[in-house]
Amino acid sequence: MILLAKVGLGVVSTLAVAGIYTFREGVVRVDVDEYRENGSHVHLWLPAAAIPMAVHFVPDREMEKAARKAREWMPGARVAAHELGKLPDSVLVEVKDGDEHVLISTHDGAIKIDVTEPDEQVHVLCPLATIEDVTAEIANTRPGA
Amino acid sequence: MIRHSLKQASLVIASVLLLSPLGGYAQSAPSGDRWLHVRVVSTDSNGESVSVNVPLELAEKVLPAINKNQLHGGKVSIDKLDDNGVDFRALLEAVRSSKDGEFVTVNGKDGEDVRVAKQGGFLLVHVTDGSDHITHHHSANKDSAGKNQDDKTQGERASKESAAKVSHVEVKIPLSVVDALLSGGKNELDLVAGLRMLSSQGDTELVSVKDEESTVRVWVDSKNSNGPEGGTR
Repeated sequence: MILLAKVGLGVVSTLAVAGIYTFREGVVRVDVDEYRENGSHVHLWLPAAAIPMAVHFVPDREMEKAARKAREWMPGARVAAHELGKLPDSVLVEVKDGDEHVLISTHDGAIKIDVTEPDEQVHVLCPLATIEDVTAEIANTRPGA
Repeated sequence: MIRHSLKQASLVIASVLLLSPLGGYAQSAPSGDRWLHVRVVSTDSNGESVSVNVPLELAEKVLPAINKNQLHGGKVSIDKLDDNGVDFRALLEAVRSSKDGEFVTVNGKDGEDVRVAKQGGFLLVHVTDGSDHITHHHSANKDSAGKNQDDKTQGERASKESAAKVSHVEVKIPLSVVDALLSGGKNELDLVAGLRMLSSQGDTELVSVKDEESTVRVWVDSKNSNGPEGGTR
């Protein structure tokens, strides 16, 4: 009975720690809604903590290809993500054209992209710390290593 | 004893894990950054508008990290800075050391007026382009000269419409920023130094363009939003 309780406690603690870690790192959120016939509705929530880990499982060849293409921009993107993370909630870019609205902003240490059109809505939210980690991962990939 | 220590350690770890998200939020307190704002408002029926807000500190830190084409280490190399026999640096130095005043005044026949002046540590460029207005005005007069009264009325209407086609461009750049931009080596602009100097300035409207199609404003202030009216005036 005590053994069962200990196992239960272990499982609950692991879940609690995993939950806290996930909450701390935030989630990557992608929502796409097409308001037309056969329009797609995609709602994707991923724990941000899982993404840098997932990058480790990307085949080396693909990582090297990505690193080669984006090498020049990665340091800039990494610094930008780091600096944007320090900002208070701010609107960076806003475009309004009739019924169309594009908004790029920072919110609670995440970058938020909202595109609103009469027949389509796209909302993307990604923690800046995740972008920083992924760009660092790509930048550190040495082609041919 | 060991069990007691383990219990205490686990309590401490749990507390740190629970409180760490709050610590993260506390770090994102508003800072005293300076912001560069760009606002473009179109006067068409859709009322298209574009607003861009960039913290100068962010630009200062990101630019040196980009090494691509002419941009290296926050400096952009320009091959033709002293081209056409004009020593741009010497010209600027002459302007900087001279007293406040108007250096260039052009009153073009086609309604194009250009004014370049130095005032209170700022380089001011003011361009008024009414060439469309004059062209339309002349053609309206030419058309209406040999025709009846209706044509004349039409000509007047066309002239009134074209009056709105005059465009105004105003550029106001702190000379210290220009100095900082030119502080790098020959044939290069030190963007980071320019941005650093710009962020040490007060609230400043740098560029204002107004014509019949759109209004463009570029300015610096300490607000992190563009505001409905476009901030600093």
